[in-house]
Amino acid sequence: MIDRRLFRSEGKISPEKREWPNFRGAIKEAMREEMRRDENVFQMGEDIAGASPFGVTAGLVKEFGPERLRDTPCSEVAVLGAAIGAGLGGMRAIMEFQFGDFMSVAIDQLTHQAAMLRYLTGGQVSVPIVVRLPCGGGQRCGSQHSQSLYSWFAHAPGIKVALPSTALDAKGLMKSAIRDDNPVLFFEHKALYRTRWPVPDEFKDEDYLIPFGQSAVRREGSDITIVATLVMVHYALEAADLLAKENIFVEVIDPRTLVPLDTGSILKSVKKTGRLLVVDEAYLTCGMQGEIIALVSENIFQDLKAPPRRLGNPGVPVPFEPSLEDTVLPTTEKILKAVREMVAA
Amino acid sequence: MINNDLKIEMMRKMLMIRHLENAWGDAYLNEEIDGIPPSLSTGQEAVSVGACMALEKGDFVFTTHRGQAPQVAMGLDPQRIMAELYCREAGYNKGKSYHVSDFSRGVVGMGGIVAGQVPVAGGMALAHKMKGSDRVSLCFFGDGASNEGAVHETANLAAIWNLPLIMLCENNGYCISLPVSRQINTTHISDRAAGYGMPGEWVDGNDPVAVYETVSKAVKRARSGDGPSFIEAITNRLSGHLVHDPQRYRSKEEVESAWEQCPIRGFGNKLQSEGLLDAGSFSAMEAGIKQEVQAAVAFARQSPPPASGEAFEDLWA
Repeated sequence: MIDRRLFRSEGKISPEKREWPNFRGAIKEAMREEMRRDENVFQMGEDIAGASPFGVTAGLVKEFGPERLRDTPCSEVAVLGAAIGAGLGGMRAIMEFQFGDFMSVAIDQLTHQAAMLRYLTGGQVSVPIVVRLPCGGGQRCGSQHSQSLYSWFAHAPGIKVALPSTALDAKGLMKSAIRDDNPVLFFEHKALYRTRWPVPDEFKDEDYLIPFGQSAVRREGSDITIVATLVMVHYALEAADLLAKENIFVEVIDPRTLVPLDTGSILKSVKKTGRLLVVDEAYLTCGMQGEIIALVSENIFQDLKAPPRRLGNPGVPVPFEPSLEDTVLPTTEKILKAVREMVAA
Repeated sequence: MINNDLKIEMMRKMLMIRHLENAWGDAYLNEEIDGIPPSLSTGQEAVSVGACMALEKGDFVFTTHRGQAPQVAMGLDPQRIMAELYCREAGYNKGKSYHVSDFSRGVVGMGGIVAGQVPVAGGMALAHKMKGSDRVSLCFFGDGASNEGAVHETANLAAIWNLPLIMLCENNGYCISLPVSRQINTTHISDRAAGYGMPGEWVDGNDPVAVYETVSKAVKRARSGDGPSFIEAITNRLSGHLVHDPQRYRSKEEVESAWEQCPIRGFGNKLQSEGLLDAGSFSAMEAGIKQEVQAAVAFARQSPPPASGEAFEDLWA
């Protein structure tokens, strides 16, 4: 279970921390600012105006009205197509899938139409859309509401993929996504929505954008590199704290975007440490964990002190039953075990 | 309202579509070009011509894989269309896709995925509406495509959001080898319009004037904020699904009878009986168009293919 008190291990949230922006609020703030800045930005999704399921769009309809916050029927194919066509016509749509797993319903519009129209027309058009996808397990939502499917779509040319793990990332990446003229998938881990984060002053800057293809070094270390995403970043940091007491120093790299990927930072880190562990909730078979390992093996094989390893969902639907779900997903414990084995070898 | 000049222009465009496509088909059959065989609109020319001539600058069309008919009907340059069909850099898409697009003239070539263009056309209509423009979006799709979920979803969305979308179903009798009688359980595909909550009708797709008038009504509705329409144009596919298709699933008699309804022949007879285009003028018109097509083929043949680096261009904006 991803503890809903994640990052509040000290107990009730202190008054000071209550001031920190929360993850879902950071996304909303980004969208609000961009909608004020550019009248062509609008949103579509099920219940986003009337009854925002995860609260990310709650209240925006009061400021922007129902034309720009459009509740849609259950028609993911038509709505995503509408986002694409509206993009051709000069609008900039943000579409929410109520659960990111539902992206499967409209794959053709994403991978064949949005992603390929520019290429097939020889550059005559662009498709400036953002697709918001609540993702991730650990909350007992079941197999069809708990997946981390970015690997499916990162595989298709022409799609950018963002994986924000903190409120600052969420805001900066969402603003970049909205201003990007390409199709962007913005994955929001459901367990992060209510988490609160200290943020630097730049957070308030309406033009603070985090560029795609720029990872974040969450922690420096010399013995092993962990590349992790979303909630796994925080588990990796938790493990790193514990491992430091055993004199194992872990470097944690958070790619923040899967496409484009900041390969340079990952290679630089693994050259330094000689060891790589990739931790993500994606299914291992053909998952992004393997992609990162392939890139490292191709480029700096001679710098590796140990075979790279990966943690993820071994390849079963994410179980609904709590203890089964906990068995399947990566945890801090599994990270600790893997790192100790890799360093000892 | 339709005037005589418009009718003559309709015939010209229909002839251009017929001969341009035949030249493309020949290029393939003579092994001059390779790849997925050409998909020709033989027999369906009147639908695109009638429909596109009812549109204005700023309106958009979204094509099926039989895109050459709307491309010509919207006034695209036959030389650059042919260059694209030959995969040359001088083509509209720089040789990268024979679903020719000219965004500046309102043509978005799609159809690689059946019905994939329909939701996107709906989106263009949404953009027109949100920007307060009175322009319309027209999507072509076939009888086969009409059964795709994308069509039902888009029709419903267009109806509830009152979008300026014209859904033009070209019923040519076949989805590759499957006849319409085995695809739908109603008499007309346009019967579904009432279920979607929008006006719908069917029209003789072999009569460009009838198509023009029907689409014009729908365009007027859309421009005045009255929302979408569903039009089913009934026509015939005279060539195979693709040019090399011997159509063994159709009897000789059936194909012959379909040829009797060739829209070029039918409209030609009509124009002759109206005193607008006698046999001699028709021949002269056709000869002129054949020359234009030959020039287009010559242009395509001498155009270089795209440079190899082009494979990696235009992925990202």
